[in-house]
Amino acid sequence: MTNKRNEHRHPDRSGNLECLMQVDKEKLKELVARLTEGWRTGPISLPQAGLGLLKLQDSAFHEPFYPGEFPVSSAHLFVSPPEGGEFEGAAMMMCDDVAFVEALAMCDAILTHGLPGYDEIMQQVSEGESIRRNEAKSRSAMLVKTRVDFSLLQDAGE
Amino acid sequence: MDVDVIFRPESQQQVFRMLLEAISRPGTIQKLPEAFHQSRASMAVLATLLDAEVKLADPYALLPQRAWPMLQAVASSPEHCDYLICEGSIAPDFTPRLGTLSCPDESATIILDVESLNGKAVQLRLTGPGIDGEVSVGIDGLHGDWLAARQSWVATFPLGVDMVITDGDQILGLPRTTRMEVN
Repeated sequence: MTNKRNEHRHPDRSGNLECLMQVDKEKLKELVARLTEGWRTGPISLPQAGLGLLKLQDSAFHEPFYPGEFPVSSAHLFVSPPEGGEFEGAAMMMCDDVAFVEALAMCDAILTHGLPGYDEIMQQVSEGESIRRNEAKSRSAMLVKTRVDFSLLQDAGE
Repeated sequence: MDVDVIFRPESQQQVFRMLLEAISRPGTIQKLPEAFHQSRASMAVLATLLDAEVKLADPYALLPQRAWPMLQAVASSPEHCDYLICEGSIAPDFTPRLGTLSCPDESATIILDVESLNGKAVQLRLTGPGIDGEVSVGIDGLHGDWLAARQSWVATFPLGVDMVITDGDQILGLPRTTRMEVN
């Protein structure tokens, strides 16, 4: 069950979750609830939601500064399908919806261990990947439009 | 996803309230509600008190491995930890942190799991702050060395240790200010 699916698994485990972050949250929660119905699930560590503090270093004095806080949630759990076995999954995301991050951790377990429901989750990963690609494309288009040509300043100086 | 009742915020608030009562009125036994009975009282106390910022020692390996990530505490030695979980029937062979004169709060809190808090094997007479006159408690499954060790740890007040004695579903507070005599 595991090996065959592992062959075409997304090579980047955290990349899967990044893609899943792009799809509709409620739709994904419903899908995971349906796929894991009748499974035994439980936490390995307590699911938590809180704030993370972003620490950067200024380029002049190389001193740390904190531009702001961001929401962060984590979940580390196990799933046990009726076929048997106990499989771990985890997720830590910039998000304040713990239930969604729990669903992502279950997706992680399903994808990593090739459990039943793998194909349906993978479909969501592809959907999220295409949303992410389109977003990156529109962002780079915006960036091109705002590019400043400093060579004109040089001409003015002469 | 189902989380064990002792890890739910509303349960931990209940246990915390009971701990406050137990510590401020030494000798009064607090009984956990029936919903908690699938875990031992010691586990409910640990779940309530610990987080990722504190160190826990389990010198007798009482906790199952899977309990550690749930409790989040950092594993440490009995001499350096903030909290200890111990078995009452095994004699202590360590000296916990007793705090310092400037910071007596930097001492350890010992959660001592015994067989029963309604026993007869050891009869203790407690006096001190929070006790109206004196109160007696009977404990089963408490090694005599614990009494001598506790006596020496709290001898130089304000240094000392605070203890929470538990059995299956009950909690008894024994702060450092409580004087204890064996009947």
